Amino acid sequence: MKSKVLVITSGKGGVGKTTTTANLGTALAMLGKKVVMLDTDIGLRNLDVVMGLENRIVFDIVDVVNGNCKIKQALIKDKRFEGLCLLPAAQTKDKTAVTPHQMKNLTNELRKEFDFILVDCPAGIEQGFKNAISGADDAVVVATPEISSVRDADRIIGLLEAAGLSNSKLIINRMRSKMVKRGDMMDIDDILDILSINLLGVVPEDEAIVVSTNRGEPAVLETTSRAGEAYRRIARRITGEDLPIDSQEDSINLVDRFKRILKLAR
Amino acid sequence: MSVEVTPKGAGSDLIINVKAWGSFADMKAELERNLNAIDPYLAGSLVSIDVGNKSITERQLREMEDILLEHGFHMKELINEKDPRSDPDRQCFYQGFNEGENTVSNNTTLIYRSLRSGQKYRSEGNMVILGDINPGAEVIAGGNILVMGALKGIAHAGANGDENAVIAAFRLNPIQLRIANHITRPPDGECIIVNTPELAKIRAGKVVIEKLKI
Repeated sequence: MKSKVLVITSGKGGVGKTTTTANLGTALAMLGKKVVMLDTDIGLRNLDVVMGLENRIVFDIVDVVNGNCKIKQALIKDKRFEGLCLLPAAQTKDKTAVTPHQMKNLTNELRKEFDFILVDCPAGIEQGFKNAISGADDAVVVATPEISSVRDADRIIGLLEAAGLSNSKLIINRMRSKMVKRGDMMDIDDILDILSINLLGVVPEDEAIVVSTNRGEPAVLETTSRAGEAYRRIARRITGEDLPIDSQEDSINLVDRFKRILKLAR
Repeated sequence: MSVEVTPKGAGSDLIINVKAWGSFADMKAELERNLNAIDPYLAGSLVSIDVGNKSITERQLREMEDILLEHGFHMKELINEKDPRSDPDRQCFYQGFNEGENTVSNNTTLIYRSLRSGQKYRSEGNMVILGDINPGAEVIAGGNILVMGALKGIAHAGANGDENAVIAAFRLNPIQLRIANHITRPPDGECIIVNTPELAKIRAGKVVIEKLKI
């Protein structure tokens, strides 16, 4: 299988890029893929914390591109999955410590070893963003159903297109179906109407994410988490499975399941 | 009535001065006579024609160009003190197009995609967008703007000061509309969603929006 470099980006901060990277990375590894997650948020690294791997960092991405160590030395193996690795960002440098050219070389090097290379992009559109997208084949844009997030996502998609990444896909994060039903939140169609790109999945708002992030255990590992379920479905779609996008992904409770089964039986 | 031929400097540029002519036919005859008198070694030069404050129509201009070509000269420019747009013939022809400072540009730019936030397009002529203009995107045209989609960003028509410019969109729902040096925005609070094509233009010094009648 040809390996794929996916950059996870959003423009706006705090919409769940890092959470999405951690969960998709873990979910893809659960499917038996060899995955490496690249944290490019130099100076503000988080992915290692979310993955619970912070205390294992010795070398980082800046050490790798500067030739201070080998890639293998800097890669951190996940504690749960054999095929999952993390290349952490440096915390004491800033975004200018890496150039787009170096990033491209790095991702090309990683292609030899891994099926999926997930690049966690920093917020903003400056150097960090340019670095993160430079080696990518495709982009996954994360947006929340808020006008500010959608606006930034629109800008980002434009910049991605300008950089030759015209096949971006959208993940709508932190969807609250109750608010949508009340008409208090943008619904999926409103967002797709503005962004006009393909939808990869919808992740519901889930308190379990906060808990799992704080514990350093991605939510996909918990079978009861609704957000985790959504991420598992997205991961299967990324691998090419043709799963229908279920806008009701956030309301799969017992009653609904019974209703569905009844519908199928009829 | 006089036609002067004044070589401009030592180069090959010529200015033909036809400021004081009565009828166009007279002027043509005079022009031809003078062109015959010009030294044949100057053939092939560029010629500027100064017509003073007389009105010249498109057609007359072309006839003059033809005469020049027959004698082996090329038309460089028409020097005219009178604003070409004040001539009724030309005004009719160029209605709604902005020509800026004496540059005749009636070209139209076609943008075959949607514009996203942060993208900005500028054109001296008209602009047609086959797609949406999203919030945060901006188009600026010297002439008119036609959006075959939803206009949700900023559009500036007649950017060089042409108050006759219009902005039309299938869904006119902009953040701001600008025509020449008028700026408007939708009223605060109200949110009127109109699902028909609309047209914005200046009437009595104000930007008004009306249904697009096709």
